[in-house]
Order: sequence, then structure tokens, then C-alpha cells
Amino acid sequence: MRISIPKDIRLPLALVGGIFLITLLVPFLPLENPVQMLMGSRLAPPSLENPLGRDEYGRDVLSRILWGARTSLSVAFAAALVAGIAGTFLGLIGGYFRGVAELLTVRASEVILCLPPLLLALLVVTLLGPGAGTLIISLGILYTPGYARVVYAETLSVRALDYVAAQETLGTHPARILLRTVLPNVMSPLIVQFSLTVASAMVLESGLSFLGLGVVPPEPSWGLMIRSARSTMEQAPLLLVWPCLALSGAVIMLNILCDKLRDVLDPRSKSSPSGASTRRRVAARLLPGLVGDDEASVIQIKGLTLQIAGLKEQPVVRDVSFSVRPGETVALVGESGSGKTLTGLALLGLLPPAVKVTSGSVEFTRRDGTKVDLLSLPDTERRKLRGDEISMIFQDPSGSLNPVHRVGDQVAEAMLVHRDMSSAAAGERAVELLAKVGLPDPERRARSYPHELSGGQKQRAMIASAISNKPKLLIADEPTTALDVTIQAQILELLDGLRRESSQMGMIFVTHNLAVVAEIADRVCIMYAGEIVEEGPVGEVFAAPKHPYTRALLASVPEGGAKRLSAIPGSVPTPDKFPAGCRFASRCERASPECKIGILSLQAVGDQRVSRCLKWKEVA
Amino acid sequence: MAIYVLKRIGLAMMLVWLVATLIFMILHAVPGDPAELLLSQGGVAPDPAQVEELREQLGLNLPLLTQYWNYLSGVLQGDLGSSLQDGHAVAEEIWLRLPRTLELIGAAALLSLLIGLPTGILAARRVNTLLDRVLSVTASVFLSIPVFVVGTLSVLIFSQQLRIVPAGGYTPPSKDLMGHLVLLAMPAGTIAVGLAAVVFRTTRNAMLEILGRDFVRAAHAKGVKEKRIVVHHVLRNALIPIVTVFALQIGTLLGGTVLVEYVFNWPGLSGYLVRSVEARDYPEVVGIVLVISILFVLLNLAVDLLYAALDPRVRYAR
Repeated sequence: MRISIPKDIRLPLALVGGIFLITLLVPFLPLENPVQMLMGSRLAPPSLENPLGRDEYGRDVLSRILWGARTSLSVAFAAALVAGIAGTFLGLIGGYFRGVAELLTVRASEVILCLPPLLLALLVVTLLGPGAGTLIISLGILYTPGYARVVYAETLSVRALDYVAAQETLGTHPARILLRTVLPNVMSPLIVQFSLTVASAMVLESGLSFLGLGVVPPEPSWGLMIRSARSTMEQAPLLLVWPCLALSGAVIMLNILCDKLRDVLDPRSKSSPSGASTRRRVAARLLPGLVGDDEASVIQIKGLTLQIAGLKEQPVVRDVSFSVRPGETVALVGESGSGKTLTGLALLGLLPPAVKVTSGSVEFTRRDGTKVDLLSLPDTERRKLRGDEISMIFQDPSGSLNPVHRVGDQVAEAMLVHRDMSSAAAGERAVELLAKVGLPDPERRARSYPHELSGGQKQRAMIASAISNKPKLLIADEPTTALDVTIQAQILELLDGLRRESSQMGMIFVTHNLAVVAEIADRVCIMYAGEIVEEGPVGEVFAAPKHPYTRALLASVPEGGAKRLSAIPGSVPTPDKFPAGCRFASRCERASPECKIGILSLQAVGDQRVSRCLKWKEVA
Repeated sequence: MAIYVLKRIGLAMMLVWLVATLIFMILHAVPGDPAELLLSQGGVAPDPAQVEELREQLGLNLPLLTQYWNYLSGVLQGDLGSSLQDGHAVAEEIWLRLPRTLELIGAAALLSLLIGLPTGILAARRVNTLLDRVLSVTASVFLSIPVFVVGTLSVLIFSQQLRIVPAGGYTPPSKDLMGHLVLLAMPAGTIAVGLAAVVFRTTRNAMLEILGRDFVRAAHAKGVKEKRIVVHHVLRNALIPIVTVFALQIGTLLGGTVLVEYVFNWPGLSGYLVRSVEARDYPEVVGIVLVISILFVLLNLAVDLLYAALDPRVRYAR
């Protein structure tokens, strides 16, 4: 069998391997006897024969360092092995048989963890006297519970696997199952635990030797060498430096190996989340309309184009234009990843770091009637609008509430940020808002933490927070997707009611659910692969779609009258594979060669209606 | 909440009893006669009369259960026996030194948080920049260097070479507060370095994880200022894993204190312990190990309670 070693751990593995090799080869190297004293050359400076000089008894320091490595490593290794065998045994038994066996093995060994590690070792040393043997015993005891825990946890999960259960049913002897099936499965975490233990045991061993309670002189050990060099620090400071360097270097290398091993073998505990994997959402596709300047609009988006850094060729959202008037609800509809959410986030300036706006403008009409371009507004100015004049509701209410703060405080936060009001007043207002969005017993809910609320209640709280400053524009990004169907209807009703109540507020409703669109929206923008493919009043678009994609989407909705559901063949291309011409062409039965060239623009297909299809007349 | 607190306190008391029992068991489970073991030097069999005297003195001739009972009731009354070397009451000696050890631990913990938290936050906010990498590598190095090496090298550099601070020792704060703090600086700093590296790492990783959560985006959508988001929303949540990891370090911290007190001649509990182990002074060792273990349990209890204060979900879940 050929074992391939992952690239990441090759270097640290080679370095640690090198240290091990040296410790094995020490007896065969041309070194002076590490315990042979030469009183005439006490503290001799480095020379050709003794590259690191001689210590206070005239012993060769290089030889002592190398022999010391052998002592330290063999003690650490032996202790880790003793603990490994004992701990694995306890963990296997405890994890496999559970019940009393678990109590007697894993739980019993954990009592050791009640004592700080060094102290337990000292206690054993008091009783047995110092020496390498004592060290191995006490360190072995110390690290047993660690192994027992790891193996126990792994055994539990392996035992739950079907093929283990199958073996049990077949009457295989437990010992056989444990050794043949469970043990190989717990190997990865065991290897990680072993390397961790060796590093830790080395530190403890040298610490005890440093205190004079570990390895017995004159045997060489790094801890002992540091201990004795302290007394000659004035005359020969370097004597102190060498063993310190050797010990620290060895531990650093072992620790690096542990980190890498853990990353490779135990994907659950990544030692550091890589910043490069910043959520890269496959983005949206939207395209805007031929709509001219709309003086009365709350917000007018023109030619918004978004690009993912690194995907130079195709923007994930291209040339999206639409506008929302006061009191109007515009739905952005598309399959997941069509760019509808990115479009919403772009309006607020909350795009993920990897996505950049490359062109377009977003004209927002403020409460005082002035118009600002949200895209060119400085960050601080845009922040002042967010949560005040423009607010947003997100898809997952559970994730959107901070788990450690009270619901009422989180509703009040937007008011405290944007209004000059006391926190008491904001708190009272928050309770009123919670009542307004239909939460029963709002005073108590305001004092609750998010985990005490149901999903629907959380979304109501998020809505209360979003409307707390009476925004001019409310962006709702799939606000009902994460909720139960019955709750969905209630939330939609709530949002619709709020919108009707305030004739000044416009709403952008992002969704993939056409039934919801029919219920709540006045106008609809259908998005496909980062472009708007059709836009118009909801009733007209649904009654007579002018784009094959809209038509196909409508046909895939289970509605009372429909005889059969038709799925759209093929799948949405990813942003790096957006084709030239019509992006839907590859899935369209009407597509002809002229559909696949150039950039298609939106065409007026009726009063207030546009479509990005060359053959829109045929679709009807 | 009250139930949770009571449960934790009950559990801590049980742990104290378990620890006391464990120590008792270790003493008696070791093969051979403790008195004989304690008196034998260099493999020479001790005088039987002496052994008998010591057995009598330590109460080893009583039935095991009676010994256990005497031991436990002694512990409950704060009587930890007397030293074999000079006959001083062990409890008194411990009482004298305990505050000094606590001061050292407290100063080190505070210092490590003062270093680790801000650097961790900084690294998380500038993730993958040069600054982040330099800080992360530095932390990995300090994480690996054993605490007594840091201490010894500090003495070599700051006391012996640069002669900025004394190599060690102790002045009571009542006599000379400034001098006291100067002597505290190096040992506390030594313990703090490794701990700060742990705090840094945990803070950085926890912040990074939480910065990606939905509620952070929701807070941005509310128009909350960056600074408030980092402190009020992100750090506040990151504190939960930070406290968890810090708690796991308490044992290491107490062990580190033993070594550091020795390096800097800090007359705390642990230096006393090392001398007792060297002299194999059985009542002293048992007393000190017991007291430090109780300290360990109490610190863990404090962390558990802090945890409940930080994370509302914990109060109800358990």
C-alpha cells in the first residue's frame, strides 16, 4: 500500500523526523561522553572540538544537548505511549459498552483532570522519588484521560454506523468489532492526540527536570541543563541559551506538526478558519428596464452591475434597472443564486468583500426630498441611511438576531443609533413595535432572548426593528422562506399591512416564490442568470408572460388548475459560464442562432412592460 | 439561573471531595509503605524503629477508613497536619503564601487579556494582512516556548545583561509598593506571555467566525457603527469561546506558577511545594496539592458562572 502524505505536513514531518533520527543515531555519532567531566576545562568557550563549549563540570555541551534530546524524547514518547494504550483501552470499552462500563473507565479517569497536571506529577514524584521511570508513570497517568475522551467520543460515533450495527446483529464478538472495525476508525484522532501528548509531555518533563524533580543528574536532559546553567549565568550566558533553543525549537516543530496534522486528519477542528474563503456567493442575474427617469420614485436603480473579484469576464449581476414608488411593492424573482439577493445587498452597501460594484447608479430620495446616489455615497453617510431611511429584513431570523442580547434591546438598537433618544424611551418604543407586529405579551418578549422565541416570532421582531425608524424603503430578502407555511402567510399579511399603512414606504420583496409574488407585489422583475429578463405589473406578467423563462417558471408552479407540472430542462449556468446572447437560450425550445450572439437588451413589449427576448411575440 | 448556579456550586463541592479522596487514594495505592518510602534514601533500608515512629506520627497504623475519616474531618476543619521537617502547622504556612500566589495568577491573567484581546481583535479585522501573519506566527512561537524557558531567558536578558530589573525576590507591598510591583512584573509577564498567545489565537479565530454570522450583517443593515458592531455584537459573542479556552488553561496556569515562582524566588505556594517535594515532606505536599486543587476547582466554578452570565442559552439549557 502506498501512503501519500499531504503536502501541508511534509515539511514539519520531515523536521520532526530529523529530530527523531538524531536521537536514534546519537550513540553512533563521534561525540564525547556526555557525562565525562573534565574539571580543567570548566566553562571552556566554544572551540573546534567543542562547538558549543563546555559546561561547569567541563562536559561537552553539544554532546549533552544531543543526548538530552534522546532523554527528553524517549521519556515523552514512552509516556505518550503508555497513556495512549491505557486511554484507548478505557475509551473503547467505555464508548462501546456505555452504562456502568463508561462510568468505570472514561468517567473514572476524568477524575485525574480535577488536579492541575504538574501537581499530580509532583505528587507522584514525592512518593516514588525522581527519575525517568517515575516521569513516565506520572506523565502516563496524566495523559490517559485525554486519550480516553477522544477515543470514547469517536467510538460512540463509529458505533452508530450501519456496518458496525450490522456486525453486532451477526453476533460478531465485541473484541473483534472493537479491534477490527472501531480501532482503525479512531486512528486519525489518535494520531493527532499522540503528537499533542508528546509535545506536552516534553514540556512537562523538562519542567520537572528543571525543578530538579525529574531526570536525575548527571544524565543529560534539557531541563536539567537549563537548571544548572542558571548558576553560571554570569560567566557563561551562552550555556543557558543552547538548551533553551533546543527545547523551544523542538516543541515549536512538534506543535506545528500537530496543527497541520489536525487540519489534515480532523477536518472538524480547523485550527484557523481561512480568511480567503470569505463567502463567495454565486451571484445574481438581473437586468433592468427601459424605464426612463422616474421622478416620483423612492429608489431608482440604473444599470447596476456587480462583479466577483477574480471572475473578470462576466459580471454576476448585469445592468439591473428598476424603480420603486412610494407605497409600491416590487418583487425581485429568480432561482437561488440568480443575483436577486446581491442586488438587495448592493443597495445597502453590504455586499460581501469579494463582490464589487462596477457600474450603475442607485438614486435614493430621502425624507427631505433630496436625491442621493447610494453607490457613490461615502460609507459613513450610507451607514446613516441604513436602518433609518432604508432597512432590510433577512431570510433567516434565527441567525439575524444576536443570541446574547435581549430581543427588546435589539429592536431598540436601530432607534438608539439614529435618533437622539434615551435607552428607556427606545425600550418603551420597542415594546410598542413588538405589539404592532403582533407579538403576544410584548413586554415579556422584549426581555426574552432570541432562543426563547419561535421562528415566526423572531421574524416579527426583525420586522419591528426594521420599521422602527419608519423607513422610506424596506428591502425584504426572502423573509418567509425559513418559516413554516402557516407562519409565512401571517408574515406576508403583516408586511402587506405595514406597507398599506404608510403610503410613503416602498418595498422591494426578494423571493423565489411566485405564489408569494402574486399575493404581495404590484410589479415584478423576473431575474435569470444575473439579468432582469422581464418586468411589468404582476397581474399582466402572470397572465401573459413575454419571456420563455417567465412562462416556464409559471408552468412549474403547482396551482389548482394545472394538469401537470413542467420542470425547466437543464440548469442555470454559473457566473463563469454565462453565454453570449440570451443567457436562457440553452434551455429554451424557441432558441435560434441569433439568440446566441451579442448582448440582448430589454425591449418594450407593452405599457410598462419589458422583456429580454427576441421572440417575445411568439411567447405570447 | 438560580438553579444553574446552585447546581454548579454543588458540583464544585463534590469535585473538592473527589479531589481530596483522589489524593488520599494516590497516597495509599502506591505499592509499599509510605513511611518506609519517605525515609529511604538512596536505596538504603531505613531503621525499622524510625519507620514505626513515623507510621505512628502519620497515623498510618489506624484502619484505612479511620485514616480517611480523620483526613477528611481535618481538611474540613482547616487542619492539614504539621510539617515533618520543622513541625509548623501546614495550614498556617499555606495561608501565609496563598495570597502571593493568587496575586501572581491574577496579574498574569489580567496581563494576558490586556495583550491577547486587542491583538486578537486587530488580527481578525485585518485578516490575511502582513500584520495578521506576523502576530499569528509570534503567537505560535510563544505558545510553544515552555514557561520556565521564558522566565530563565528573561532573567538572562533583563536582569543579567540589561540590568533593568532584579532577577527575582519579593518585597511585601505594605513595605514598598513600587518595589513590590517591580518584582511582580517579570514573573507575571512570564506567565502572561504564553497565556496571551492562547487568548490571541482564540480571540482571532472566534472573531473571524462570528464576523461572518447573519446577525452581524443585520447589525450593519441597522446602520450600527463599525466600532459598536465589533464590541457589542462580535466581541460579546466571541467572549464565550474565549472564556472556554481560558478555563482550559487554568490548570496549565497553576502548573506554570510552580515553575515561575521557582525561577524568580517568589515566596508563594508553589515554591513551598517544590521544597516540600524535595524533602518529601508528606503532610506539606498533600496540604499544598489539596489547596491548589481546590483553587483549581473554584476557578473553574467561577468560569462556569461567568459562562452563564455571558451566554443566555446556558442558563436554561442545563
